[in-house]
This record gives sequence, C-alpha cells and structure tokens, in this order.
Amino acid sequence: MRPIDMMKITLNLVIVYVMGGLLIAFVYSKASPVMYRKAQEEKQAALKTMTPEADIIDKLGDWEPHEKHAEYYIAKKCGELKVEMVKDEKTGEEREVKRCLNETEIGYIVESYGKGYSSYINVLVAVDKEYVVQKVNVLHHAETPGLGDEIERDYFLNQFAGKTVEHLVVVKKETKEDIQAITGATISSRAVTEDAVKNAVLMIKGTAQEGSTGHQG
Amino acid sequence: MSLIKQKSNWELLKHGLFGENTIFRMAISLCPAIAVTNSLKNGITLGVAVVFVQVMVNVTVSALRNFIHPKIRIPIFMFIIAGYVSIIDMVMAAYAREAYREIGLYIQIIVAFASIFARAEVFASKNRLDKAFFDGLGMGVGFLLAMIVISFFRELLGKGTLFGFPVVAGKPLLIMILPAGGFLAVGLLMGFFNWIDIRFYGGKGASGAA
Repeated sequence: MRPIDMMKITLNLVIVYVMGGLLIAFVYSKASPVMYRKAQEEKQAALKTMTPEADIIDKLGDWEPHEKHAEYYIAKKCGELKVEMVKDEKTGEEREVKRCLNETEIGYIVESYGKGYSSYINVLVAVDKEYVVQKVNVLHHAETPGLGDEIERDYFLNQFAGKTVEHLVVVKKETKEDIQAITGATISSRAVTEDAVKNAVLMIKGTAQEGSTGHQG
Repeated sequence: MSLIKQKSNWELLKHGLFGENTIFRMAISLCPAIAVTNSLKNGITLGVAVVFVQVMVNVTVSALRNFIHPKIRIPIFMFIIAGYVSIIDMVMAAYAREAYREIGLYIQIIVAFASIFARAEVFASKNRLDKAFFDGLGMGVGFLLAMIVISFFRELLGKGTLFGFPVVAGKPLLIMILPAGGFLAVGLLMGFFNWIDIRFYGGKGASGAA
C-alpha cells in the first residue's frame, strides 16, 4: 500500500467519524431533554392515576424485586394546599411550589416486577394505610399477544381493588374473594397476582411497620 | 460507462416499489417485518424510520463516493448507517414515545438491515446523487408499503381492529398476530403478488425490470 493511500484512508476515517459524531451529538442535545422530561411526566401521570385523591406523592425508597430496580412512594392528602410562586435565585425563573398544610398519609404506591411467561411484568400497586390493595396498573410487559397481554385489561385488573394480602391468590374458577385467572394465561395472571402485587404488598407492609421511612438494603 | 442503460428517476422509484420490493420480491429484512407488523401503527412507524435511513444513507454514500477510499468503504458505510439509525432512534424516543415503547428494539436493528447496506454498496456508491436519492426513496417506500399491507391484514384478522379502533365484530383469528401468523401473512401476500405478476405482466415484474 502506498503512503498516499494510507494518508487518504486515515483522512477518510477521521473526517467521516468526526462529522458523524458531531451530527449525533447535536441531535442528542436536542432530543435528550425532551426524552427526560417526557419520561418524568409519564411517571408522574402514572403515579397520579394510581391515587387520584392524593395531592402529593413522595418517593420513600428503593427496592429490588427480581434484581430489578423499583421505587416506592407515599401518597399524602393535604388539609390545605397552598400554591406559591417562588423565584429561582440562579436562573431568575418563577416556578410553582406546592406547600402542603395538615397533610395526612393516605397510602403507598409500590412499583414491582413479576416473572411472567415470556417477560418480567412491571406493575404499580396502590395500597391504603391498612395495606388493602386499591388499584393495580401494568406499566410494561412482553407477554404473548392475545393471551398474556389480557393482564392489561380492566376486567382483570379491577379484581384487585379491596383485596388484602391473603386473597391475592389466583384461582381458575369464578370467584369474588380471590383473583380469577385469565383463560389461557394462568402463568401471566399468577405472575401479576402472586409475584408482583403480593411481594409489593408484603414489602411495603414490612418496611412501613419496621420504621416510618426506613430504606431496604 | 455502465453496460445497462441509465434508468430514469421514475424507473428507479418503480423498481424499488415493485420490481425489487424488499419484502415481497427480495424476501430480505423479514425478521423485523414479521415482528412489528402485528398492528398497523407499529408497522407504519418502522416503515417510516426505514424510509428515512434508506434515503439519507443513499444520499450520503453517493455524495461521498469519490472521497471514500475503496479499501475502507465497508466500515464507512456501516458507520453512516449506524449514525442515521442512532438519529432516528433518538428522535422517535423523544417525539413518538407510544410507538417507540413497543418497537424501540426494532428501530435499532435497522443497522443490520440487509436491504439498506445492499443499496449503499450496489447502487449509491456508484451513482449520481439524484439517482441514489430516488433509488433509496423507492426502496424505502417499497418497504413501507409492504409493512402497511402486511400489518393491515394481520391487525384486521388478528385483533379485528385498525389503528386500535374496532372494525370487525366477533372473535378474531388470534394466530394472525402471533409470529406464526406473520409468516402466513407474508407468504400468502407474496404468492398473491407473484400471481398478479404472472397473470398480468407475464412474469416480468410489475415494473418490467425484474
């Protein structure tokens, strides 16, 4: 290979890679704040639908179901809600700060995972102060379309409202006390009920009774 | 210089749309085509991403064709493809989150699409900018159309919906949205287009170029 070819190849690679890198960096700088903001908004919206009556949802701590990172939150209702405009000293921008007076804790929201038929099922569980399940929502899963993905449907998820931990059991016949399995998707139904939701309730029960804001290692 | 007559832009476009349609004629990139076509929305999202990457890669490769040293053209093509895929991936993650959550993985897999690399190597690296643009557009839109046709039938038969809106009442044919139904749909449609080809065009391909 002639030296001139070596030169040309080096120049080729350097120029193309630097140009490409700059282009990608530019798109990233535009897209990444949008991505981050939307992910935060989606998370807040998802938490908000779990306990519509809560005014404030604060993060309590982290835990690791199935070696995956998950968070749990406390939902509070305010006796009185004050919205103040606070001026940020650094940027000079005004932003809304909600101040809560006479707050009462109304329950917890726990993110959890269950091992399903073909994926880990990511759920949010809302419980009240007596650890009775209020609402369950499926955030993400990759179960079989048409069978396992019925776990997203209301007819299945609505069964969870008002269930205590002893009744988080899947049965294959018609039931009002326990959770009725989805036809053709017993494994997915079990994963949501006896794995994700049950473990979440047990975890928050253990953690909350142990200490008010204790972290679980 | 080339032996074959230089094709007009319209011929190039038609060639990609019908004569050498990625899915129905070349039968390449079938893996993502089957994976994401269980709903019309997902199929269209991936199709649009492929149109973008195919056109941009063709144009860039063609613009740089006299600058790139032949010995390192393959790594450079790969880098160009990966760059545009990263861009569309980030844009979709930010602005089309609903669809991205379901098919994000397959957007990244566009890097390994045989059809995109093949057009860069076979066509764009040897032809003028405008020719490369129309070739890329034809190939990309050909893929998009194939995705629309496949996912239309799969969603309609498998879920009884279109774009998530219920259209057909009654129990849907579940198998159509499972992977097996993907193979069935692609195979039957491929056969149907071959039949049209033989019946009406004497087996020469709808563009007359196959």
